[in-house]
Amino acid sequence: MVSGRSLESATALITGAFGAAVAVSSLDNGIGWSAAGVESGTFPFIVGLVILAGSVFNLVQGWLHARAVVLGPSELRRIALLFVPAAVFVGIIPLIGMCPAAALYVFGALAWNKRGSLLVAALAAIGSALALYLIFEKTFQISLPRGVLGALMGF
Amino acid sequence: MENLEALVHGFGIALSGNHIFLMVIGVLLGILVGVLPGLGAPNGVSLLLPLTFGMQPVSAIILLSSMYWGALFGGSVTSILFNIPGEPSSVATTFDGYPMARDGRPTTALATAFGSAAFGALAGVVLITLCASWVAQVALAFGPPEYFAVYFLAFASFVGMGGSPPVKTLVSLAIGFALAAVGIDTVSGSVRLTMGIDEMVKGVSFVVAVMGLFGIGELLIAVEEEFHVKAISSKVEWREVFRTLAGLPRYSWALLRSAAIGCWMGITPGGPTAASFMSYGIAKRLSPRRANFGKGEPEGIVAPEAADHAAGTSALLPMLALGIPGSATAAVMMGGLMIWGLNPGPMLFVEQKDFVWGLIASMYLGNVVAVVLVLLTVPIFAALMRVPFFIIAPVIVILCTVGAFSVSNSYLDVMLMMGFGVLGYLFKKLHYPLAPLVLAIVIGDKAEDAFRQSMLMSRGSLGIFFAKPLVTTLILLGAALLLMPVIWRTIARMMQGSQVKP
Repeated sequence: MVSGRSLESATALITGAFGAAVAVSSLDNGIGWSAAGVESGTFPFIVGLVILAGSVFNLVQGWLHARAVVLGPSELRRIALLFVPAAVFVGIIPLIGMCPAAALYVFGALAWNKRGSLLVAALAAIGSALALYLIFEKTFQISLPRGVLGALMGF
Repeated sequence: MENLEALVHGFGIALSGNHIFLMVIGVLLGILVGVLPGLGAPNGVSLLLPLTFGMQPVSAIILLSSMYWGALFGGSVTSILFNIPGEPSSVATTFDGYPMARDGRPTTALATAFGSAAFGALAGVVLITLCASWVAQVALAFGPPEYFAVYFLAFASFVGMGGSPPVKTLVSLAIGFALAAVGIDTVSGSVRLTMGIDEMVKGVSFVVAVMGLFGIGELLIAVEEEFHVKAISSKVEWREVFRTLAGLPRYSWALLRSAAIGCWMGITPGGPTAASFMSYGIAKRLSPRRANFGKGEPEGIVAPEAADHAAGTSALLPMLALGIPGSATAAVMMGGLMIWGLNPGPMLFVEQKDFVWGLIASMYLGNVVAVVLVLLTVPIFAALMRVPFFIIAPVIVILCTVGAFSVSNSYLDVMLMMGFGVLGYLFKKLHYPLAPLVLAIVIGDKAEDAFRQSMLMSRGSLGIFFAKPLVTTLILLGAALLLMPVIWRTIARMMQGSQVKP
């Protein structure tokens, strides 16, 4: 279970950390005024501070006014069921390449939900990989990642 | 009259077989992304963007803008028939559209929505036709301080009128600015904010951000809310369509008011979503039939739809004339313009007459095409909603992945896209607005350049923003908008205080 309070706090901490990183990192570029005009770190520095200040405000507000529970166990489960396979799909692209990864992803998604036979899932998987290849690689000449596997097989 | 001549010339360009074909394709794809939850106009247009690089800019913009019209219409279809808004901007349409359809009048609800949407869009296009070149002419005389002031006003109006919590809007906006600054600084040539990753020198593309924020993020929201498709008969009775359209003039006051709200919110970048909610809210307060709102009152469909489409259309006016997009989708299109080698802004009206007027003429035609096509295809796209979500979801994930990758053939972009997906989910869940973030990524650099050039002109004195009446007015107006949430709260508190006292 995730409470509204912890979700608000987590988001504010993420944005705040980003703001701090931006502000600190832009110090390297110099902030303020030089002979060449406004130095290149100035604008990001101010922006970083705005993010940081806003995040602190949101953190406090979220802590004070958050609703009790926003995500129950069943919601979390559904989100995980979408996000984990998607993350695995993205994770294996550098290993086996875009098209095989997409095929595995589609096969997994259909097989998991147990509607129709494994044969249908396999056909859909091969179909989607082929469609990707034909549409992007062939028609629009976008070279999709081949992955380590592709390199081994000499593509 | 000059505008009319130019418009006729534009029709000459838009009315070719090739362009009508692109309109039909664009509108159909648009309805598709509009109908599918998890895919919306901003990332639909971004997905199509890499495929337009080989085209003529006029053809490319006709394809993309038609997709935008299609998506605006498609979002209403699912709102009315399934109570699931396909687009954030059609949420307000569900309030009265779905009850009316549920009571056995789906055709009336759809026809009311499309009719008022078409009216709203027409109002937006007429406004562009009449005003765009005039605004551009005024803007030709703009220097960096004027530009910075206009940018400032645009961003301030998000905070003041966007309808989301103001500090959250500010954070979203500032994150966009920071992301825009990543990579090589256009003024000094130095490298900024790469956080030690060499590949970040190329910067963060708005396409990657849109894929993650709107694609993956919406998908996560959609699974979490687990919508149940309770389909209402999606058969369209043509006689009822014409009868409803003929009856629309009864709501002319509501139509005019909503279109005006929409145009205003589109030009000052409040966006279609805020426009539709505001218009619904105002109609609910002013309508003589306000007691029926929420139970299938036609005016409750007219108000959000007309405002939604008027805002969506007029969002292109500042994009064309000033280089400031009025909505997230307009921001993506403007990014496309820059990739095609065009420079959005007043010079467009001087150097690229064919492009500008071809686009404006195509907006008239595109909306007609959209109304006809959406009515013809309602049953087909409604059937699509019955495809189980576990099949649609992987397809959307794969499309977003390929879309993010294809921007610069980089796996890092795919990782960033997933990161943006998580951020998009958190932001949506907690009512942070996403459009300001995208807008800031697209025009953040320009706003910063305008500021730094102004500073160079004045040798570092902020006084330059108060030296000329126009600049001062814009800056003060922006400051007032920024402070508006605080002012409203104070007024509300004072009113409450005076009520408590006897």
